[in-house]
Amino acid sequence: MDLRYSDHEEAFRTEARDWLRANVPAERLPVADTREGFEAHRAWERTLHAAGYAGMHWPEAYGGKGASVVQQAIFVEEYLLAGGPERINTLGLNLMGPTLMVYGTEEQKHRWLPRILSADDVWSQGFSEPDAGSDLAGLKTRAVRDGEAFVVNGQKIWTSYGAFTDWIFAVVRTDPEALRHAGITFLAIDMRSEGVEARPIVQLDGHAGFAEVFFTDVRVPADQVIGEVNDGWSVAMTTLGFERDAPAASPARYLRAVNDLIGAARARGMDGDPVVRDRIAELYAGAQAYRAHALRTLTRLSRGERLGAEASMTKLLWSELEQRTYEFGRDVLGPYAEVLSPESPMRDARLWNAYYWFARAATIYAGTSEIQRNIISERVLGLPKG
Amino acid sequence: MEFDFTPEQLALRDLARDLFDKESPPSRLRELWDGAERTSLCWRAMSGVGLTGLTVAEEFGGMGGDDVDLALVLEEAGRAALAEPLLETVAVGAPLIAVAGTDEQRSAWLTAIAAGDARVAVLLGDAPFAAGADDADLLLAERDGELHALPRGAFTATPVVSEDRARAMCAVTLEATPSTRMAGDASGARLRGAVGAAGMLNGVSMRLLEMTLAHVKTRQQFGRPVGSFQAVKHRLADAHVAVESSRAATWYAAYALATGASDAAVSTSIAKSYASDAAALANRAALQAHGGIGFTWEHDLHIWLKRGKALEQAWGSATEHRRRIADALFEGADG
Repeated sequence: MDLRYSDHEEAFRTEARDWLRANVPAERLPVADTREGFEAHRAWERTLHAAGYAGMHWPEAYGGKGASVVQQAIFVEEYLLAGGPERINTLGLNLMGPTLMVYGTEEQKHRWLPRILSADDVWSQGFSEPDAGSDLAGLKTRAVRDGEAFVVNGQKIWTSYGAFTDWIFAVVRTDPEALRHAGITFLAIDMRSEGVEARPIVQLDGHAGFAEVFFTDVRVPADQVIGEVNDGWSVAMTTLGFERDAPAASPARYLRAVNDLIGAARARGMDGDPVVRDRIAELYAGAQAYRAHALRTLTRLSRGERLGAEASMTKLLWSELEQRTYEFGRDVLGPYAEVLSPESPMRDARLWNAYYWFARAATIYAGTSEIQRNIISERVLGLPKG
Repeated sequence: MEFDFTPEQLALRDLARDLFDKESPPSRLRELWDGAERTSLCWRAMSGVGLTGLTVAEEFGGMGGDDVDLALVLEEAGRAALAEPLLETVAVGAPLIAVAGTDEQRSAWLTAIAAGDARVAVLLGDAPFAAGADDADLLLAERDGELHALPRGAFTATPVVSEDRARAMCAVTLEATPSTRMAGDASGARLRGAVGAAGMLNGVSMRLLEMTLAHVKTRQQFGRPVGSFQAVKHRLADAHVAVESSRAATWYAAYALATGASDAAVSTSIAKSYASDAAALANRAALQAHGGIGFTWEHDLHIWLKRGKALEQAWGSATEHRRRIADALFEGADG
């Protein structure tokens, strides 16, 4: 057990910190739910790429830096501490790129990987459907072979930045006769194809962060199948494996949120209240326990181990912690919790409230807490399926 | 960056697990519960493989290990609901004598601990009872802010009845004199006691969950295993996640103690408060999922339920440690 970073890693941290300090935009970028805001974020992704901080975990052969998981975690932490903008290119960098490296043909890799790195192509993920959320294998979007193309009809939903992205990787049903998991194919679809229509969905926070995407007789060239036809479930599971092994939510986030709580408690004159102190200490202990858990996970990943179903433990831990932390924030804020005014004792009330509502989504996106508990109980604890 | 144990530390864990399985099985715990005489068999076996001297320096015949070397052994002690003073002697006593003892106390007691000839009991602050004092060769006690090392004869221990009958809690009267006085204070011992109790508690929780998983996989109701119902599964998943993250937090605290890190004290309180909370969750889930059979004297479950409840409070409750965390946070933060 040795938690010291190597000289090389410390040097990387210093370099990343200095670069972020000099380059993170001083003014917050416009929210990425308009074309203007999205393009501003794309430009930022290009800046990151030019400096070598986009896809740095990719192998050098594919234009990355072959960075270790420890370096990635360091960068994620420094990025957070520097207040860097929202990342719009993570689906391409963390999911589609690595999936292509495993399943893509040489032609496909050559075609898409460089454009993912440079953010010339920003990707969406087309997995969820209106009737297939937690039960992904219940998906209904159809793709029928017609000569050298597949004709796609159906609908995807909760598609991040769906109104603005260039490409979408989607799972579609190619063999309706086959059993649920068989008969699914993994397709790369150009969002600018005829018959693709993305309608933004306004979230409860007022922003249009995601979209529903409709496919009407969309012709997708057959050379855009990733992996084998009817073997898309395996490809999708590989993709989800990358999602699980990607750098998890940085513990620094929650430690900082607790620090904000302390500041707000002081401002409200509650810092002497034993109940408030007890609750804040509990949240701090939770954040530190999550940090220790993350170090344990990072050690395993850095040895080349995969987390598999155990990644569900990480997701459950941080999402529930995030929710409890921001929930207690409302108690500290009291009458200020509902107002987005500068009188709030919270440094940035608007941002805090946005985080609060986003925390409410944390136990839903990327697999609900209920699904995570199913996975943990069945695949980690070995309990029988219901 | 490596947050894991070495092959040697894992081998030591396996050694401890096998030894506790053999020397301290549930049947032996039952005998102690029924009032059987304590014997030195298990302690002798532990010293035979070096466990009693794990944290004693090599010059005194020990293995020269630190808090991290001990971490997994403590978990195993919890898994076994061990009735021996491992925490008091090895986790707290030996390191305390090493830093706070006089030269004479160190050479006498550390040698005896490594050889398996000295069991230690500890009584710090205003604690009303000392575990295992009736059987202890040495009592390390605080009186009026002074630390004393009292050999057998310089204190009397009167057992009180603990609901965990394998835990010999004792009221103590003692004769502190200048000759029993130690040279240093007990601040490190408080931390080591709390981290050690957290580690044992994690082991207790692991055993509770192991027993519970085995039960719900076989127990049938409505024609299927009760462990196939989501209401049961989700509760056990939550307990498992809490216990595993608690282990990580406790290991971190052990590492902070072993390396003398500046966050050792607050990490200790994080570990103990989190371990106590996780243990309470596992404790409730275990009995609930066992149903009626878990509420019987006959079933072994309550041996671990009661050890868990005892250790939740030992060396500071979750509430007490959160108070310490809050004190550190509100003094230190720049909000």
